[in-house]
Amino acid sequence: MPQFRDDHILLIAPGSQTTLAQLGLPESYTPAALRIPTRMFPGLEENTYEPYKIRTRKKEIVSNAGDTEMGGTGASEEDVEELIELPDDDEGAIYPLKEGRIVSMPAFLAFLNHVFVMLSPTTIHTPVMIIAQPAWTAKNLEDITGYVFEKFKTPALSITDSALAVAYAYGVTNATVIDVGFEKVDVTAVTDYLISGRGSVPHSGGEGMTRRLQELLKAKDFTRDMAEQLKKNPICEILIPGTPLPGIEAPEQEVTNPAAAATTGALSSGPGVRITEAPREVEVAEEDFVDDKVDDDGVLDVASIVTSGKTQEFLAKKEREKQERSLARKAAKDAREAAEAAAARPVRLPNSKRPRAVFHFEEHIQEHAAKRLKTPEPMSAIEPPSVIEPMSAIEPASAIEETAPIELPVQPPADPLIEGKDDGSAIVSPLVSSSDAPITSIDDRREQVKAARKEEKRKAREEEHPDRIRRDYEIGLERFQAAGNGYLEAIADTVYRTVLKVDEIKHRQDAWDSLIFCGQGCKVRGFKDALLATLNNHYLVSPSSATMFMSELPSNLATPSGTGSITPNASFSGTPHQLPHPSSVNPLLFAATTSQNQGLNPNQSLSQNGHFFQQNNHSSHSQSPSSIKVATPPTYFPEWKNFDEAVFLGAQVAAKLYFIVDGGVSKAYLSRGEFNEEGPSAIHQIGLV
Amino acid sequence: MASQALNSSTQPTDVYGGDEVSAIILDPGYSSIRAGFAGEDAPKSFAPSDYGVTTEGTFLFGDDAIHDPNANLEIRNPMGKDGTVEDWDIATQLWEHAITSRLTNFKQADPRKNGLNDDLSDAVLEMETDGDKPLEEHPLLMTETAWNSTKNREKSIEVAMESWGCPAFWLARNSVLAAFGAGKATAMVIDVGASTASVVCVHDGLILKKSVQKSPLAGNWVSQQIRILFEKAEPKVNLVPHFMVAGKTAVDSGAPAQATVRNFKIPPTASFRALEEERIITEFKESVVQVWNGANGHLYQEISQGGYKNFDSLRSQPGRTYEMPDGSNQMWGAERYTVAEGMFVASNTNEQNAGPTLIDMIKASFNATDMDIRPHLLANVVVTGATTLMNGFVDRLNSEMTTMYPGVKVKIQAAGLTAERRFGSWMGGSVLGSLGTFHQMWISKAEYEEHGASIVEKRCK
Repeated sequence: MPQFRDDHILLIAPGSQTTLAQLGLPESYTPAALRIPTRMFPGLEENTYEPYKIRTRKKEIVSNAGDTEMGGTGASEEDVEELIELPDDDEGAIYPLKEGRIVSMPAFLAFLNHVFVMLSPTTIHTPVMIIAQPAWTAKNLEDITGYVFEKFKTPALSITDSALAVAYAYGVTNATVIDVGFEKVDVTAVTDYLISGRGSVPHSGGEGMTRRLQELLKAKDFTRDMAEQLKKNPICEILIPGTPLPGIEAPEQEVTNPAAAATTGALSSGPGVRITEAPREVEVAEEDFVDDKVDDDGVLDVASIVTSGKTQEFLAKKEREKQERSLARKAAKDAREAAEAAAARPVRLPNSKRPRAVFHFEEHIQEHAAKRLKTPEPMSAIEPPSVIEPMSAIEPASAIEETAPIELPVQPPADPLIEGKDDGSAIVSPLVSSSDAPITSIDDRREQVKAARKEEKRKAREEEHPDRIRRDYEIGLERFQAAGNGYLEAIADTVYRTVLKVDEIKHRQDAWDSLIFCGQGCKVRGFKDALLATLNNHYLVSPSSATMFMSELPSNLATPSGTGSITPNASFSGTPHQLPHPSSVNPLLFAATTSQNQGLNPNQSLSQNGHFFQQNNHSSHSQSPSSIKVATPPTYFPEWKNFDEAVFLGAQVAAKLYFIVDGGVSKAYLSRGEFNEEGPSAIHQIGLV
Repeated sequence: MASQALNSSTQPTDVYGGDEVSAIILDPGYSSIRAGFAGEDAPKSFAPSDYGVTTEGTFLFGDDAIHDPNANLEIRNPMGKDGTVEDWDIATQLWEHAITSRLTNFKQADPRKNGLNDDLSDAVLEMETDGDKPLEEHPLLMTETAWNSTKNREKSIEVAMESWGCPAFWLARNSVLAAFGAGKATAMVIDVGASTASVVCVHDGLILKKSVQKSPLAGNWVSQQIRILFEKAEPKVNLVPHFMVAGKTAVDSGAPAQATVRNFKIPPTASFRALEEERIITEFKESVVQVWNGANGHLYQEISQGGYKNFDSLRSQPGRTYEMPDGSNQMWGAERYTVAEGMFVASNTNEQNAGPTLIDMIKASFNATDMDIRPHLLANVVVTGATTLMNGFVDRLNSEMTTMYPGVKVKIQAAGLTAERRFGSWMGGSVLGSLGTFHQMWISKAEYEEHGASIVEKRCK
């Protein structure tokens, strides 16, 4: 009988911007139930904090925030003062975490309290699992421990490092966790579920990219909001280093690493592959679909119809169908023309090949009463109509995560405003490079119709969301440079440095073989691939031609091929290295085999590059990495599609393990009794941070 | 789920009040600073001693800050060549960083206010203010080299007491702590760090002053040898640090590198480049360098005219390859044995030796001790310091010492775990700091106020 129950466990994973929390472990682990901004506001009295911005208002406003306030201060004290929930208003907010560090402990503790109050657990039975940021100091942990035990009467507390939690989520014993947060990138090397190296890139993270965009687009008067939205927009993409920017004539020879391709099976071929199979493919299919229907019309199997003897009947039916179809097409009668026109254009370019793209900026106006600005004039002759994302996705009030920048705007069926037939033309146009498209008369007509249609849509939208205005900007090559200026290199260097901090040299390769990207920042399109390419480009050690005839070659490494050259290791691994899923090996199997018996798993032993076959009298030592791989996310959590928040999945796995399965045997949590005896410093004995 | 073997809280103390509070152990060295709580099995904080100075004159501390090639940093080190502090202002700030970044908060986050001019009343006032607990909670155990000057020792207690307001302080010799870390009170401690190699005999927890031997033939010297090796290699190996390389291409062994080089508007400083080069050399040391095991005498043992038996036999052995950041790579055969040989044998082919070899030091140190304890010393040889992690180092040392002292039992204690070897003296400090009996030894703040800084000379022998 375990000491605690699943549904009593409280999980809190604080981040610099957003905190994830949940009460209870569901049957199948789910993304966090509660997601709130990690911020507090100064309270009415000194040294008190409120979860929402307090505004003094006249009495007539109904107090609706009384239940969310904390600490007993509040609206009821004085009639004239009322607390208004202003979720959008972050003016004067105190962010207790900055770059993961706790900059204001009192505010952070008040925030913890707020989370508690929101989830209102029965504290007497509720063990607490807090996910610690790598930057937290020992003292921070003690303070939190003390606070949690004294304030909440919780029976047990565990504090686990976020990188460890991610490793738990992935079920890998060794990993290099790259957590791209708000203003920092934390890199943690985990070996045998222990933290063996830490590094951090300050002033980076998602915010670093936003700032960079803002700086690049200063000339266009970009605000931070605009840069932020642009970053989340799919037109903002981080290209793999060495990819020539569109419009610039092959600035330099593309830097690729044949070794990378050789050992990982993909990487340097990555750029090419990625570009050609850019997600726009979907649209092509859609357009083809339209065409297909049209073709059906023309190609009738006349012979069979005639022989069937029902010619008249059939023709009538056909006619009816045609009418229906043309009716349906009435709203967009030139869709076909448009499609044809588009088809006539030479090549549809993916985003990364187009020098310019249009960015629709949606501004949220705080007050509904604010003057409703009409959208400005169309920008250019061929301004593409918008491919509108469902409005909810752009809601500024929703947390960063929900915007899902990787999610492409190409899901017309989901869009209520665009009807089926419309798709063909609506989607074609953004793909048309505005600079090089010849303007034919067909185009002109099409544009007019489109403009009209666009105007309708816009009106509809503005009626639906009167508090938003929308502006279009044409963004040039800046949109590819969010991670320029040494940004990726700095992260890559930190990864390299962190892995080198692993004391056991033979474990370094293991850490390289399971990189995990997480955090919201890496949702920026192309980020992971670009970082991986940078790592490969800089740090991957190629198999040396000098080892070709080495006698100490591990006998089971790989038989030299007939040509006499040794085939690179990873080519034997069966599953070519494909981004972003490096291997299709069942992660459970993979984890189990790699942790238990290195020699039995052919993939693994090959990737070790002979680590386990070195001379006996020395600890194995050779340069790493000989391969760089991305860990495969587990497939057995159906609720988890997106592993950017794997940390919370890991929190659930770890909580289950610590509090329920393990039952305290491995001392993975601090019980109240131990706390009473030894005080807050006892948390260090848990050793999970 | 590491749990601790030691626990200070169960020990009664009557000298200073905070029995619940573990001491902070600070072990500064030439290349890195180790800091953590007493009783733990590894230092929680590990920071490089190198720090960066921006063009504006601000200081950047810590590994995460000093590796930015765009920041145009000048890299400096507050430690002198012999592992003692030279620049106290910086050293204080650096140590503060090491402590605050991972362990605890100082009351004053701003290092400028932590200057030496703060008088005591400030600290007292802060004690009264509520909020985050400052370092004033924690007693501080600092390590020092066996050859630390009196002036430096007094400065240490000054910093601890006045700048940081520690309630209690102790200064311990790092060789003694290394012996404690290995569980010995009497030992011959061979410590090979970055800047200095030393041999110190410890008896009953006290260093034997006459036995203190030191030499610059340590990690940095080996790095220098590696640079020379690169220079002299055929073809010459270019030491291009990672930050200079934009992309590399795999080339055949020994072929010139084909890499694109990054261009910087403001080229990084020479000291920054040296720091980054050192990272490559460190990895080279870890993965290629080998110490000759001394099976048939030293590496350059001559058998006949001009022939080196051992060295020549190694030529037929398979080598190790190492790939430089620019992609060039080559096989290092017998050469990889040469760089560390000079630590043991004076007649190195690479250059004149800059100081006494380890063997010389062991002899000299041993001969300076009393006859009675010599067998104990040889039976308890403690090896510590990161440079001793070079492959084959301990084997060689063992072979040399058995040859040197035939008939006596020579037993070398070298921690198997990398961390324990690197942090040997810190670990000893952790053990010492958590002992109940040690609580009576601390120099308390009251004592310091009464006697002044000179008390450290009287108490910490």
